[in-house]
Amino acid sequence: MHWFYLGIAVVFEITVAISAGKAQGFTRPAWTTATLVSGGIATYLLSLALLTFDVGVGYAIWTSVAGVGIVVLGALFFGQRLDWRKLLGIAAVIAGVVGLQLSGAA
Amino acid sequence: MTSETATARSDRARAWFVLLLAGAFEVGYALSVGGSQGFTVLSWSLVAVVFFLLTLFALSLALRTIDVGIGYAVWAGIGAVGAALLGPIFFGENLTPVKAFWLTVIIVGVVWLKLSDSPKRTRTERPAQP
Repeated sequence: MHWFYLGIAVVFEITVAISAGKAQGFTRPAWTTATLVSGGIATYLLSLALLTFDVGVGYAIWTSVAGVGIVVLGALFFGQRLDWRKLLGIAAVIAGVVGLQLSGAA
Repeated sequence: MTSETATARSDRARAWFVLLLAGAFEVGYALSVGGSQGFTVLSWSLVAVVFFLLTLFALSLALRTIDVGIGYAVWAGIGAVGAALLGPIFFGENLTPVKAFWLTVIIVGVVWLKLSDSPKRTRTERPAQP
């Protein structure tokens, strides 16, 4: 169940990143509201995941997988290029998550 | 001309200070969200809300001056390293060598990813800034 909570928390953290970018220093009310609401939901779900995960482990997975999601969405929908550097970073994050899981730390 | 450069330099120094502060707030956010026990402990929950607002505010302030990719990389790096190192101190979790190794892989990966996301976005986003 903790992986499920963390997964949904990741989705809302990606929403935070996108809406915070569009809020332009929190000068646009609609995007600012979207940022705060999705941030609140992400935070609550993260806290549920952290009931099981160690704080350092759960937090690192959450923020990193969200980072991967942002880059992948950028490539899919916003025409940003997925070059070898980004793929290397994505591979490292995935390797780290899998490693934590397989070693029993997550 | 020289005074303009000096102003720009002190602006940059201030932005970096605010960015480091945002990183520290993010560590506080991670720890207090963990300590809130699913938002059932009132004190930690309130602290978590305060840190949530502080980290967002400080990061957005710093990113007015500092490049988005670099700013996110530093902020996320400080947050993740801080949570990994301080989690064991606050919550009696144990950071085994294996766990520390894979955490390092993840954190280096995300910092690298944010850094490699930076140059293109700067070029397209800077002209839009007032």
